[in-house]
Amino acid sequence: MEGSMSSNVKINGAAHKFGDNINTDVHCSNKYTPGKDVDDVAEVAFSRLDGEFHGRFKMGDVLVAGANFGINSSREFAVHVLKKLGVSAIVAKSYGRQFFRNAINNGLPVIECDTDGIDTADAIEIDLATGKVSVAGKSIERQTPPLPREVQAILSSGGLIPFLKEHPDWSLK
Amino acid sequence: MGHTIAEKILGAHATGSPAKAGEVVVARVDSTMIHDARADGAFAAVERLGLKDLPFAKNTALVLDHYSPPPTVDAANTHIEMRAFADKYGARLFDVGSGICHQLMPENGYVTCGAMVCGTDTHSVTYGAFNAFGTGVEGTDLSVIMATGKNWFRVPETVKVVLTGKLQPGVWAKDVTLFMLGRFGAEGLNYKAIEYKGSAVAAMDIDDRMTLSNHAAELGAKAAILDADDKTIAWLKAHGAAEPKPVTADADAEYAESIEIDASALTPQVARRHLIDDVIPVPDAVAQKISVALIGTCTNGRLDDIRQAASIVRGRKIAKGVRFVVTPASRAIYLAAEKEGLIRDIVEAGGSFDSAGCGTCVGITNKLIAGDRDVVITSANRNFQGRLGNDESAIFVSSSATVAASALTGHVTDPREMEGGQWRAA
Ligand code: SF4
Repeated sequence: MEGSMSSNVKINGAAHKFGDNINTDVHCSNKYTPGKDVDDVAEVAFSRLDGEFHGRFKMGDVLVAGANFGINSSREFAVHVLKKLGVSAIVAKSYGRQFFRNAINNGLPVIECDTDGIDTADAIEIDLATGKVSVAGKSIERQTPPLPREVQAILSSGGLIPFLKEHPDWSLK
Repeated sequence: MGHTIAEKILGAHATGSPAKAGEVVVARVDSTMIHDARADGAFAAVERLGLKDLPFAKNTALVLDHYSPPPTVDAANTHIEMRAFADKYGARLFDVGSGICHQLMPENGYVTCGAMVCGTDTHSVTYGAFNAFGTGVEGTDLSVIMATGKNWFRVPETVKVVLTGKLQPGVWAKDVTLFMLGRFGAEGLNYKAIEYKGSAVAAMDIDDRMTLSNHAAELGAKAAILDADDKTIAWLKAHGAAEPKPVTADADAEYAESIEIDASALTPQVARRHLIDDVIPVPDAVAQKISVALIGTCTNGRLDDIRQAASIVRGRKIAKGVRFVVTPASRAIYLAAEKEGLIRDIVEAGGSFDSAGCGTCVGITNKLIAGDRDVVITSANRNFQGRLGNDESAIFVSSSATVAASALTGHVTDPREMEGGQWRAA
């Protein structure tokens, strides 16, 4: 995922839809199953919410959710699990505050927009540079404010730590 | 258009002029905190960074509070790593028994007006009581701040909450926040900064103001900032803080929402089992029996909490079948309670007074595990199922005064009706 700011700005994948208030500490972390590692948790993540999720999900797919994705969930571990699964981006109406930070810090794009009408199996395209989310098959196009320059730069480096290795003084020039 | 306190503090630490809500800024961070339940994550991130020096680790407090003293080998080993980390990078270590991170940060001069303070914990919003921008972050964030002295922040929208009038004796900041949780819901103010203002806030002492800022975490707040006044400045100076330079909001600052609450009309409140936003007035909950009564945590383990409790239980006995445990938020509070004779009041009444730290807050400390069918009333901040290590127990949350009154009767009790329940600092 290392590269210049302009690469990798378009993400394409199948949507997997969840509802509101998904607590990622419950559905994809080891907070309540101490000792389980990222691989263990990735194997069962979200299965209590959607028994068919694992049969359907392919590397590069996109999670789509309602309001407050990652609510009450402050552990970075959850984002490590999502990366391990191969989630390429998340589109949700809103996020838990710390989840949003953790996603960006670990190079996982998180887009905030209306997700009504988008369903599981829809082919979704996200343009990180322009902030456009579209489902061509349903003529859905949602324009969101593009992610700020700094956040795009962190994402295109693959996360905050790789970003700082490339830009030790935080400069974007 | 004017600016909120959050916009001013973040802006001053980024470009030097106020930022705008919604913007992302790269801002300097003045001081940081890592506690033992999150140290592993922060150290792993430091390893990934792979730097020899962490020039800003000198502004970091490492606090051994969740596992104080350590209940497992893993926790004890984490403590060993933390001591070594502090030595290696020049951070300051607060060892077992020192107290809870959010109390130690202000008590030891890490917080002042207008400062940016980050900790690996949601309740880092506590520092807003001192007119600082205090916020919770994760291990990656903390490692990057120790390396560069900076981090990225999305500037939050601010909700203005004006508490008019004055709290009645026996009603506390805890009751204000519980009331707000009932009204707005847990995480109802997710992402937002809160500015608390009004005559009832001005009348509060520092201990109660810290509760107000701290418990905003349950509302989802990114920061909960109060105006500074003479009380703030005197307190900060007495605790070795950097010169306080108060930050105020402009009269024409733009708020996402403005809320007014009549503090004079508030009664004591209680959140019922498992849900911090299922809140009712204490007078409507008196039929509820309790078997465990706890006072402590970063929300309500301060000297005024212990004074409230002692004033209620002094010279009396707690109800048969009730266990009453008090844990002070810091060693300094412990010693002050000892000096005022409060520990004796509590212990003679049948309570126990434990070491400073997170002990009574959460099951992972292994200090306090509730039994099946136990009903706990606590001055802590969270009551989701299993918080005290047992899904079969229930937790109710209230002010320390309500907890102490309930310990005496064995059921949820309005402190205003108890002798001593109207205590307030002279
Ligand atoms: S007292 Fe409780 S909420 Fe506060 S820092 Fe400790 S464990 Fe967390």
